[in-house]
Amino acid sequence: MKKRGKGIACIFYGTGYGNGFPDVSRAYARLLEDGRVEISVGATEVGQGAKTVMVQIAAETLGLLDKDIVLINEDTSKTPDAGTAAASRQTYNTGNAVKIACENLKEKILEDAAKLLGVNTKVGLCMKDGLIYVKSYPSKKVSLKEIAELNKDLQAEGVFTAHTTQMDENGQGAPYWPYTFASCAVEVEVDTETGEVSILRAKHVLDVGRAVNPSLVEGQIDGGFAMGVGYALMEDIGLKDGKMTNGSFEKYIIPTALDIPEIEKVLIEYPEDTAPYGAKGIGEPVMIPVAPAILNAIYDAIGVRFYEIPVTPERVLLALQSKG
Amino acid sequence: MNELKIVGKSINKIDAKDKVDGSAIYPQDIYLENMAFGVTIRSTRPHAFIKVDTKEAGKIDGVLKVFTYKDVPGKNHHGVVLKDHEVFASKKVRRIGDPIAFIVAETKEIAEYAKNFIKVEYEDIPAVFDPEEAMKEDSPKVHDRDNVFYHFKIRRGDVEKAFKECHVIVENVYKVPMVDHAFLQPEAGVAFLDEDGRVVVIASTQYPHFDQEEIAESLGVNKEMVRVLTPAVGGAFGGREDITVQIHLAIAALTLKRPVKTVYSREESFLAHSKRHAMKMYYKTGALKDGTLLALEAKIIGDSGAYASWAMNVLRKSAVHATGPYYIPNVKVDSFAVYTNNPFTGAMRGFGATQVPIAYEQQMDILAEKLGLTPIEIRLKNCFREGSETATGQVLEGFVPLERCIEELKSF
Repeated sequence: MKKRGKGIACIFYGTGYGNGFPDVSRAYARLLEDGRVEISVGATEVGQGAKTVMVQIAAETLGLLDKDIVLINEDTSKTPDAGTAAASRQTYNTGNAVKIACENLKEKILEDAAKLLGVNTKVGLCMKDGLIYVKSYPSKKVSLKEIAELNKDLQAEGVFTAHTTQMDENGQGAPYWPYTFASCAVEVEVDTETGEVSILRAKHVLDVGRAVNPSLVEGQIDGGFAMGVGYALMEDIGLKDGKMTNGSFEKYIIPTALDIPEIEKVLIEYPEDTAPYGAKGIGEPVMIPVAPAILNAIYDAIGVRFYEIPVTPERVLLALQSKG
Repeated sequence: MNELKIVGKSINKIDAKDKVDGSAIYPQDIYLENMAFGVTIRSTRPHAFIKVDTKEAGKIDGVLKVFTYKDVPGKNHHGVVLKDHEVFASKKVRRIGDPIAFIVAETKEIAEYAKNFIKVEYEDIPAVFDPEEAMKEDSPKVHDRDNVFYHFKIRRGDVEKAFKECHVIVENVYKVPMVDHAFLQPEAGVAFLDEDGRVVVIASTQYPHFDQEEIAESLGVNKEMVRVLTPAVGGAFGGREDITVQIHLAIAALTLKRPVKTVYSREESFLAHSKRHAMKMYYKTGALKDGTLLALEAKIIGDSGAYASWAMNVLRKSAVHATGPYYIPNVKVDSFAVYTNNPFTGAMRGFGATQVPIAYEQQMDILAEKLGLTPIEIRLKNCFREGSETATGQVLEGFVPLERCIEELKSF
């Protein structure tokens, strides 16, 4: 017999190293001779979209297009330390560092522009589409390329440190910032003959602060959902006396696209004050509510609580047998 | 804020095309002139004293050198928090998979063949695989210290008194296993000396600047002499936080003065990197008749395996997130990180905050059922809002859109 059930879960997640640990990101911005801007930052692209997000943040801050940003992030001899690509911290932490570096560079560019344009202050200057012009008199303008030709040393640094407080001996303090929230609902179908659990449909609601790139956020939700399905239903290295009995893909079962339903995604956008353009970290929060929502849905379907994961077909059948 | 032009737009992922059409360069794809190939010898026992004899393997035609702990120019250690990993096991192995030697030969085939001639003599010693066993005073010690190397506490309000006032108390024990990151691209790397004499290591990593420091320390050079290049990375999820290929390659390239490459198989990848912490979570949650949460007591035991990696930070994160996103005035949480002779555990997506909802979110549904509430009702009643205090006393300022996240599920 096939039985259906629904379940939900919600979570919070504190971004970053936390607990007062020095969580620092650095970035450099430099005006190139052709008027483009080079961003050097040690943030690794691990598939999460760091390259794209950093370019978007830089372009936004400098009033440029993404094609005008040259990102260098692959060589420790050329890039400053931006911390690890983990803890959902790169968009938030390093995004802030990139934004600050670009703002600092922009100030220097405007100072040069003010001199070139013969205006008495940089107040009233606008920087957009690779041009600096007097806001109230736009025909008075100079291009980034012209500025770069005259000053070959226009560069700036951006440093950002996440604010966290070490906890005391009673675990009291402010260990992380910011916190990201998420919720997830799933409908499952449990085959009581085979013990197999299928996910029929799902909804994922994510507090993103602001989505720098909505498609990338949705991609993270898809990937995180799949990883949550594996955690709830399939994955276990199978330890026996310190040895992994499932130490290869022959036995270590992970989900495929066929195990993942269409996911209805809702991005909640309330920009976070301390974040670059309000963007919070979402790489981990996308995954966390998925497995518990599945467990709650299984209970709704067959009336069995699983206190141990993964809920494999064997465990489902055994539980149904002992339930009688 | 002015209208945004590029932030908020779904521009194409910059590296997508290269990854789709196959032109992205992963370390496996790199071939340099005069490049040698390395393979790693790993322990097959979980806890044993070892004696290693590499003489026969070293004599094989085409074998350039067999590296062991004796060949580490600097410190024979690494680790993201505690330096408790050895680059090569010196006296004892603490888990199946500990690196013992690195054979570098003209070709991969020769290096693989030479593996058969490495003699590792194991003298097994009592091992411990269950973290709760490992917590006992008379259990075998994985390192020269107590197996419990981290205990984090949260104490807030008075749980004993509060449980007496609860209408319903739910008490359960939850267990989650070690799992693998199963990223697409198994570890691989190439190291060589550049024209300035620096050691260049190309490896898929999450944190190149930290790798640079760890490599330099094991080479006994200052870090400016080490350059880490990050090629395309085929997924990470926390599994590339700890050192795998980097130091072995750097030592070999520096010693042999030629490029050296290594590529792990999927099976070796499973042995080489960390796992998600297995946890046993004792949960006791109490609520008033109307569903208001009043008290939570939790004991969380994390299996760190043979090495610490990020265990302290992970178990701390578990404890901080142990209540779930709910206001609970009385909280007592104890989390422990424990050494065993299992595979070592470390960072993995969620970092300790992924395990605890398996417990706290099921507790919520169990409480709701007992109180005649729906899962949505009990969550809305208790969820964090602007100004709520967490179990650590942190005031949540700014937007806390959790209520909306839950409301959105009503239509599901």
